[in-house]
Amino acid sequence: MSLFGTNTGFGSGGTGVFGSTTTDSHNPMKDVEVTSPPDDSISCLAFSPPTMPGNFLIGGSWANDVRCWEVQDNGQTVPKAQQMHTGPVLDVCWSDDGSKVFTASCDKTAKMWDLNSNQTIQIAQHEGPIRTIHWIKAPNYSCVMTGSWDKTLKFWDTRSPNPMMSLQMPERCYCADVVYPMAVVATAERGLIVYQLENQPSEFRRIESPLKHQHRCVAIFKDKQSKPTGFALGSIEGRVAIHYINPPNPAKDNFTFKCHRSNGTNTATPQDIYAVNAISFHPVHGTLATVGSDGRFSFWDKDARTKLKTSEQLDQPITACCFNNNGNIFAYASSYDWSKGHEYYNPQKKNYIFLRNAAEELKPRNKK
Amino acid sequence: MGRKKKKQMKPWCWYCNRDFDDEKILIQHQKAKHFKCHICHKKLYTGPGLAIHCMQVHKETIDSVPNAIPGRTDIELEIYGMEGIPDKDMQDRRRVLEQKSHESQKKQNQDDSDEEDDEDEDEAGPSSFQQPAAQPQAAYMPPMHPGPQAQGMLPAGYPGMPPMLTGVPPMIPGMPPVMPGMPPGMMPMGGMMPPGPAMPPMMPGMPPGMPPHVARPGMPPMAPAAPVTAPGIASRPAVPPTQSTASKPLFPSAVQMGTGVASPSAAPASAETQSASSKPLFPSSAQAQQTVSGPSSTTSDSPKVTFPAYTQPFSTSPVAASSSTVAKPPATVTSKPATLTTLSATSKLMHPDEDISLEERRAQLPRYQRLIPRPGQTAAVAASAPPSGAVGGMIPAQRVIPPQQPGIRHPIHGQYGGPPQGMPGYMAGGMPPYGQSAPMVPSYQAGPPGPPIGIRPPVMSPGSRY
Repeated sequence: MSLFGTNTGFGSGGTGVFGSTTTDSHNPMKDVEVTSPPDDSISCLAFSPPTMPGNFLIGGSWANDVRCWEVQDNGQTVPKAQQMHTGPVLDVCWSDDGSKVFTASCDKTAKMWDLNSNQTIQIAQHEGPIRTIHWIKAPNYSCVMTGSWDKTLKFWDTRSPNPMMSLQMPERCYCADVVYPMAVVATAERGLIVYQLENQPSEFRRIESPLKHQHRCVAIFKDKQSKPTGFALGSIEGRVAIHYINPPNPAKDNFTFKCHRSNGTNTATPQDIYAVNAISFHPVHGTLATVGSDGRFSFWDKDARTKLKTSEQLDQPITACCFNNNGNIFAYASSYDWSKGHEYYNPQKKNYIFLRNAAEELKPRNKK
Repeated sequence: MGRKKKKQMKPWCWYCNRDFDDEKILIQHQKAKHFKCHICHKKLYTGPGLAIHCMQVHKETIDSVPNAIPGRTDIELEIYGMEGIPDKDMQDRRRVLEQKSHESQKKQNQDDSDEEDDEDEDEAGPSSFQQPAAQPQAAYMPPMHPGPQAQGMLPAGYPGMPPMLTGVPPMIPGMPPVMPGMPPGMMPMGGMMPPGPAMPPMMPGMPPGMPPHVARPGMPPMAPAAPVTAPGIASRPAVPPTQSTASKPLFPSAVQMGTGVASPSAAPASAETQSASSKPLFPSSAQAQQTVSGPSSTTSDSPKVTFPAYTQPFSTSPVAASSSTVAKPPATVTSKPATLTTLSATSKLMHPDEDISLEERRAQLPRYQRLIPRPGQTAAVAASAPPSGAVGGMIPAQRVIPPQQPGIRHPIHGQYGGPPQGMPGYMAGGMPPYGQSAPMVPSYQAGPPGPPIGIRPPVMSPGSRY
């Protein structure tokens, strides 16, 4: 899709629900607002895969709903459908052919949403809220992987009520990512496990965490040949670790960088350190975006080890982000993430999802 | 030293031409004299690193390296210890050293400062003898000795020359007739360098005889000299892995920025640098930390940032230090309710104290625990009428909850705990097994008014806190 392929005036291609365009800080980056955002914090966003034409965005929220919008080339967003769970939705993902959406919720179930018929059926059940859901497409099998706070990782054939496989984890699943044949799961207590998915999923390696704080988000990146080769792990302490699975020189190749911190000047002002809420890799450039509790998003080039851009500060934390399948659109959600406790929660405050043209800003920096 | 691999030279500082016994000391010198920020006194690792630091942290530009001699003030040249020195300067240096050492030998024998002057002049000249370490020269001495003296080339002006000859650097084209004697030995050495110029003037007679034989002794030492650089550098990389010690950030320019890795003493920092080690010259390499694979996690604390170079003024040392301290305690968190150390002198973690994820914390709230459609949903849906209307319009078989809510009351019990109220419609046609739990139903009440689902039916899902 050539949506936002070039700098069109999509900003002005009104979606109609722009909110005040005065200098209020809910949209300092003047990005496109998605119409009909959810009524509570957005927990996850996912764009449709390249196998289907058009760009469809799915967003799950703490309002127990999952919404689908069509993002048109001119920047307009059209709400298409919505489904509900009985508990907050924590993660969503698409099937590889773009016909189904899988949703995971605090109600301990995961559902498969057939977009054509707009019907959902439950496909998974856990003992605790399901935190992550991913579709795995292997040459010899396909399944849905769910990670839950019940410390298990289960794999489901959507046609059967019983899991194909259930793997025990050391702790509650906090985040995961899958890029066949690799899957990474980060758990509570800074656990980090890599799974290999060929033939059947199995635990590949448990890695000692490169970070010293609670894990919050993880995203796998690929090498030049499009093979998964490592992952980026974000913590609550404003830091992301870039970790390769089999680097030629681990000491040199793996590194971490700080992000999402207030610019504590050199003086005695304490620096505020915010959690990294999500990490997404650009599908084409391989550069990454991080969004944090500080209400900013940043783009980074991990190979040149430089920052490409940091946004202005939004008035709410940014809780989720994702790129569309060709990397032209960057979607990010502005809503409260509970980083300051329940006292700062205002149910009346509007939640937003913004879309930004990502074609130019995420180009890698030329290596010096 | 006799470490031929080290380009046969003692480490010397490119910026100010001082000599050092050890490369480590050289680096410490560079950090303290040339790469130290004049504003905050932070010691960086390279010139460009200093420039970037000043720009980002203090918003000041600097265009020359502090305390450097004229001609050697290029702030953009990435020199670290002995690495990064341009070849030309390296050769110049060798020449100079050679001359100096020859000279000093001469002097030792004669204490004639005049020679030195002369030699200095000549240094600039064609004499481009390598700097060979004392040894090589010594090697020549013996053989040379007899030669030159025998030649009697000694110019009048060089009373002490003869003996010195052997050791004396050739530089003196004019002078040293004597030199010629020695020089023959030298020359050939110099042969590494442009031998031509020096020879002719020197010893008309010598060369023929000398060169060949002199050459031999000369060559060997020389030979290694040239390639030395390569192995020297090559060996470097190998070394670092073991070294770790000194905070030698792999990411010289970057490291500074962020993290005060500069303080090698700081345990955390050193830990990091340890893994880092090596070659600052390899900007892409690096960065320390990562102990990832664990054991080496001597890196007790937060691995240092590596993006600093290009990022906004990141934490400078103070913050780095603090982040270290912040890091420490959490590492010991073992139980769920364990708290994080969120405060330290210079940084504050914006996260609730308990070491559970934000989602877990939030999900504990009653308002999110109802495993029944939020009463507010109807309101919510109503509120967002347009959208849902639109939605409804789009999808003929709209299954949005609201319409279904009423229907949900009918418990479609199933083995599963979760009551996917929205299911009913599907369930019928689909998988009965995925039924909903009965328990929920009874508790279900008609949507309590008010979007904020404040009302919490006491009945939550079966027991679990979720």
